[in-house]
Amino acid sequence: MSEIPTDLVEKLAAALLAGDKDAAVAATQEALSRGADPLALIQEVVVPTLVEVGRRFENLEIFLPELIAAGEAGTACSAVIEERLIQSGGAMKTEGTIVIGTVKGDIHDIGKNIVATLFKAHGYKVIDLGKDVPAAAFIDAAEANKADVIAASALMSITRAGCREVADLLRERKLRDKYFFIVGGGSLDQDYADEIGADGYSPTASGAVELVKSLMTR
Amino acid sequence: MYMNERLVEIFQRSRGGTFMKEAEYDLLLANRTRELVREYAIKFDPQMVCPADDAMADRVFEAGVQLFCDVGVYHLDTQRVIKFSRAEVMEALRQAPSTLYLGEGADQVIARHRSVEDPVPSLNLSGPAGQPCSEDHYLEMLISYAQEPYVDAIESGATLTYNGVDIMAGTLMEVKAVQRDSATAREAVRRVGKPGMHIGDCATGMTAIGKMAASDPINGLRPCDGRLIAQMCELKTNDDQLIRVPHLINYGSHRINLMTPLTGGIGGGPEGVSVVSVAEFLLGVVCYFATYHYLSITHIKWTNNSDPWGLYVLAMTGQAMARNTHLVFTDDPFTVCGPCTDELLYEVAAHSIIGEVCGYHQHGVGSTGGNEVDHHTGLEAGFQGEVARATTRAGITRERANEIALALLPKYKDTFNAPKRGKPFALAYNIKTITPTQEWQDCYRRVKEELSKLGLAFEQGPWD
Repeated sequence: MSEIPTDLVEKLAAALLAGDKDAAVAATQEALSRGADPLALIQEVVVPTLVEVGRRFENLEIFLPELIAAGEAGTACSAVIEERLIQSGGAMKTEGTIVIGTVKGDIHDIGKNIVATLFKAHGYKVIDLGKDVPAAAFIDAAEANKADVIAASALMSITRAGCREVADLLRERKLRDKYFFIVGGGSLDQDYADEIGADGYSPTASGAVELVKSLMTR
Repeated sequence: MYMNERLVEIFQRSRGGTFMKEAEYDLLLANRTRELVREYAIKFDPQMVCPADDAMADRVFEAGVQLFCDVGVYHLDTQRVIKFSRAEVMEALRQAPSTLYLGEGADQVIARHRSVEDPVPSLNLSGPAGQPCSEDHYLEMLISYAQEPYVDAIESGATLTYNGVDIMAGTLMEVKAVQRDSATAREAVRRVGKPGMHIGDCATGMTAIGKMAASDPINGLRPCDGRLIAQMCELKTNDDQLIRVPHLINYGSHRINLMTPLTGGIGGGPEGVSVVSVAEFLLGVVCYFATYHYLSITHIKWTNNSDPWGLYVLAMTGQAMARNTHLVFTDDPFTVCGPCTDELLYEVAAHSIIGEVCGYHQHGVGSTGGNEVDHHTGLEAGFQGEVARATTRAGITRERANEIALALLPKYKDTFNAPKRGKPFALAYNIKTITPTQEWQDCYRRVKEELSKLGLAFEQGPWD
């Protein structure tokens, strides 16, 4: 295991902050070829840089395109690093696996995409099911990916019942205690989350990350 | 192109246009917008939330046309891009109406295209603006809007339950709820003696099935009423939205192009979102055959538009469309604060004044930014109309509107991160007499007095 040269740390961080996927991948490949520890690259460069991007977005210092671009660059770097780890018989270390999606009937996913990007930035593996996702699909994906958390989003008032469907189906399939189930989105609040028996609710994207962190330490 | 020909063309292009992943389209739109903002030298200055710059307004329009022609409309179901030439866009703009008849009988109002600093005051098309509502006191809430003397039309809110059961989009529950809520809106206008008042939408309906379920000339929405056809952020449509178009055309109803551009979203900062907003007007003209257009700017973090970014987008988009088209369009104030707070009324006032001098008719209000159930009342809606008329009556210019907005912003900007959500309808009104509580009336009088000092020329209001 070797330390990551400072110039490469700076180069990779700058590429991630700029959302330059090609430059970020090139910097990652260069770091690996010069003997950088793959896990250290993730934990000491990629994650803290993406957390910084998330902070800037929360503070309105950058806009959504910059956040998305940085997130995509981070995902591309992670793929390169994971490939290297697998080749060397190792495995990617993540903070946990989260299945996320916008519930059935709701096609609004910008909020969900922001939350998914921040989860990734904080080192979680994210299975993003997209939008208009039936309740059963959340659970099937959680089972298939050995997830820790199921996160359901609903923006519109008449789609929030989709969150209740996920909760009900989890109970019906006797899987409710197997996963943390959290909800968010414009049409939801803490009262509704309590009513459907969710483990948590957050009105903000950064709050969702903190919520998952606190649930995972239980 | 004739109407039918264009509809068929839209369908064919939605099936044969360039295939593209949604994320690729978002990136394309973000990058092209950024380039156009630079190319057309569109600038935002936080001290100039309502610029009086005709040349920049025209550049915003040109950049918006260019963006629309360059990136097209993204069809979410087919993942294809529907493109239109500049000539097709201009032809559709020429065919769009400049005068509308809203409602019927003695309650009919005429909505005309408004120019920048138009001497004719705007109409105020109001209601809970799609905000979440409970079943409790829903009729009383709608009456609180319809009875206001400075409200010219209402729009139904979005109820959450039907007989206590969660409504679910695309199911029989949505249809049942829409039938009930459109009938409730009809009953509200009847109860206040304005049976022909225009009803802008039944927001409980989210899908095409739900929207179409409101078409009922006896108990629901009539041809003289309207229905929203929405865009998804940014410049996106789908079959569910497009299905509404031929239905509403044949029903003879108003088609309202709902745009919800996100400041800080894919369009970037306020300069880019102004350009994107112009392009979204054009989508409504070309694809939705909109009779009028409803701009509902939304801040990505606070879900309001009373902040400097929102006010700037309002001002620049409005001026761009007012100067370069003959369209009829509205805007709604989305606030962070709620009823029984002075801050809500200051947020509404800043938005209303700028909207009034930038070519809009009034719409809204989205109190608490849609975050709190039942936190919307007729008082702030009527107040919005009063402020608009007082603005025009006083001959407020864009320069003066900017000064007033800058004077009002300090009165509420601290609430962006610490919202004062206020009180729900049932606590802000006496629900038997449907009148605002003393506390809410006191807020109204206090804020009007402050606005009068800033130069607005009010007439007698309902709660003075």
